[in-house]
Amino acid sequence: MPTAAPEVAQRELEAHERLLIDQAISRYGKRPGALLGILETVQSANTHKYLSMEALRYIAGETGIPPSRIYSAVTFYALFNLEPQGEHVVCVCRGTACHTRGSRDLLEKLCLDLGLNERESCENCEADKMALTTGDRRFTVRTVACFGQCALAPVVEVDHHILSHVNERTLQREVKMLLQGRK
Amino acid sequence: MEEKGSAKIISVRIDGELVSAHEGDTVLAAARANGKYIPTLCYLKGLSAVGACRLCVVELAGTDRLLPACTTPVQEGMSIKTASTRLLLYRRMAVELLLAERNHICSSCVSNGQCELQSMAQLLGVTHVRYDYNNPRLAVDMSHPRFVLDHNRCILCTRCVRVCAELEGANVWEVSSRGIYSRIVSDLKDEWGQAESCSACGKCVLACPTGALVEKGFAVHEMVKDSGRISRLAVRRAGRSR
Repeated sequence: MPTAAPEVAQRELEAHERLLIDQAISRYGKRPGALLGILETVQSANTHKYLSMEALRYIAGETGIPPSRIYSAVTFYALFNLEPQGEHVVCVCRGTACHTRGSRDLLEKLCLDLGLNERESCENCEADKMALTTGDRRFTVRTVACFGQCALAPVVEVDHHILSHVNERTLQREVKMLLQGRK
Repeated sequence: MEEKGSAKIISVRIDGELVSAHEGDTVLAAARANGKYIPTLCYLKGLSAVGACRLCVVELAGTDRLLPACTTPVQEGMSIKTASTRLLLYRRMAVELLLAERNHICSSCVSNGQCELQSMAQLLGVTHVRYDYNNPRLAVDMSHPRFVLDHNRCILCTRCVRVCAELEGANVWEVSSRGIYSRIVSDLKDEWGQAESCSACGKCVLACPTGALVEKGFAVHEMVKDSGRISRLAVRRAGRSR
């Protein structure tokens, strides 16, 4: 969505968003270590589950934490998103156990089905974890290093539910169910 | 670190020689005060030590682990070795890994001949790099009116981060992401020229050991930096505040 992205990036922060951030800041105070709590609250309250640059700038201005430090924290933790996330999140485990049971093929098939270019993202990605969102913002495909469910490999997490022993067909069925469920 | 009056004097052995040091000093400070050379890269006198480059590793009798001299405090009765074949191999490997990570092409670098990484490689006898070069495609930020940020030459020593936070107080720089994707960023990854917090003081450029942060208008070989100015400034400020 080359046209939609800049719009999102350049809009001003709305009043209710500012209010929300102010509340988060007053809740966590200005003590060191408050930043993570503030960021988490702001992100989970966002419709698209992400932190916009305007929000980060506003947080920096209100808390007095240097913008560079906020950016550093946001990019350090895989939990925080700088891009709008899709409605459904499909998270493919790329840990060793899942890899040996074919999670790369699963990931490639999933990306193919959803029309995402996995290769392209890897070439100019700036993080060690992949997060791709479809143009219609219905799906976000992510990878994770390990869920700790290696006995159930390969593991895929769909909207925070862990699916075990996934194969291409079950994954496809799951994605289709999500698509139909929305209709 | 500099307070002399109150600190207790303790004795440590450095390379077999019994020397006295102030309690609370780092191994590096004690060694330097006694004329012992330990190679360093991320350490800059006057800034806090982070122990990131691992060039200042030393051997401590009684433990197999190598310890970074810049962050290890001296203790009574320590016996430290600052040079050995093992240390040389280890330091050489650290430099090789730094060289392999980004695009350190000395022949086209403004800091050629004035670069601390290059000097360190020469000093440690790094004649070749055993590892595959990573060859990342990295941008050069020319947006600042006076300075240039070249990610290709950055070794992530974080001297610029520390000098900006500790001496200038502007907190322009930080390290974003992690692992091999780590990059130096100004503000919210704004272009340096657009970074509002930057006061264009140039301390980060002076502190940078390589050609990653340089002044504009210099050709290959021409960028001479004096990181000693940072150390002298830090010492003078510390003296004034006391």
